[in-house]
Amino acid sequence: MMSDYEIFSDEEMVEKIRSIDQDFYAVIIERYQNKLLRYATNLIKDKDKAADVVQDSFIKAFINLKSFDIKKSFSSWIYRIVHNEAMNIIVKHQKEIKFPDDIDFKSKEDIGKDFEKKEIVAKVEKCLAKIPLLYSEPLALFYIDEKSYKEISDILRLPMGTVATRISQAKILMKNICQKN
Amino acid sequence: MPKELKNITQNIMNKIHHDKIKMRPKAYFVIGSLFSFIGLVASMLTSIFLISLIRFFLRTHGPMAEYRLEQIISSFPWWTIIIAILGLVIGIWILRRYDFSYKINFKIIIIGFILAIIITGWIIDMTGLNNTLFRRGPMRGIMRQYFQENNILLNQ
Repeated sequence: MMSDYEIFSDEEMVEKIRSIDQDFYAVIIERYQNKLLRYATNLIKDKDKAADVVQDSFIKAFINLKSFDIKKSFSSWIYRIVHNEAMNIIVKHQKEIKFPDDIDFKSKEDIGKDFEKKEIVAKVEKCLAKIPLLYSEPLALFYIDEKSYKEISDILRLPMGTVATRISQAKILMKNICQKN
Repeated sequence: MPKELKNITQNIMNKIHHDKIKMRPKAYFVIGSLFSFIGLVASMLTSIFLISLIRFFLRTHGPMAEYRLEQIISSFPWWTIIIAILGLVIGIWILRRYDFSYKINFKIIIIGFILAIIITGWIIDMTGLNNTLFRRGPMRGIMRQYFQENNILLNQ
């Protein structure tokens, strides 16, 4: 089923779901479930709860599908829903990791030289649990989910400058916390 | 496929097929947006009215300010403030509820709201529109009745 609809964008699929056949929603679920499960797992550090979050998010997205503006990005929309659902779980269970006090963000080192993108992708996944959510979330979206600053800004509702700063600081954190191990 | 995901598609599609979950109609979101817009506009108008009313009272009452202030406080239509606050809170709540997934900067909405009230109040004051409305316009009858009911004398 997936291959037949690969030519259609997410937004075109949403239009089909809304106006032609609700069964097309399965295509959307197939497209996003793996990515969203990884994203939710990185946020809440629990695969079972993450799977529940992803399922609830797909249900919520379906119920509110007619409020989606097809001129905007469906990807950012569904990620935002998962973010909201995951945050509800995190607040409930207070799993936020404490921020380390001894990190110097003012370092003038060129972090880009030390951390090439491919290298970071592998390290980010291992390292995410050790970094506070404030920094790990934009970092995961940027390196693992390959979202642009604009998309991360839409998902997290942060200005693009803040997104850039957090990613940059997250890299410093990774170097300080994760490279030691 | 991870085991956590193997049933997600099936679960959701079953719920859709058995009508356990349904898409909300477009009208639902249109009405929601309309209500929030009306709520925001209504609270803004109420706030502008309040500012105009306060300025009007302060100008009209002249000497014996302390006594007059007590009179203003005792006869002030406090319900309008409640409506303004409720309008704003409900408006933002509805916006958050319906547009949960788009980037909305509520700080900008609130700052814009406050600025709009101040600028509109200033324009009304500069142009003398409030005096015109109270003395000659459609508000005349309402204001006279309000003053009579609350035993307030007009210095005219």
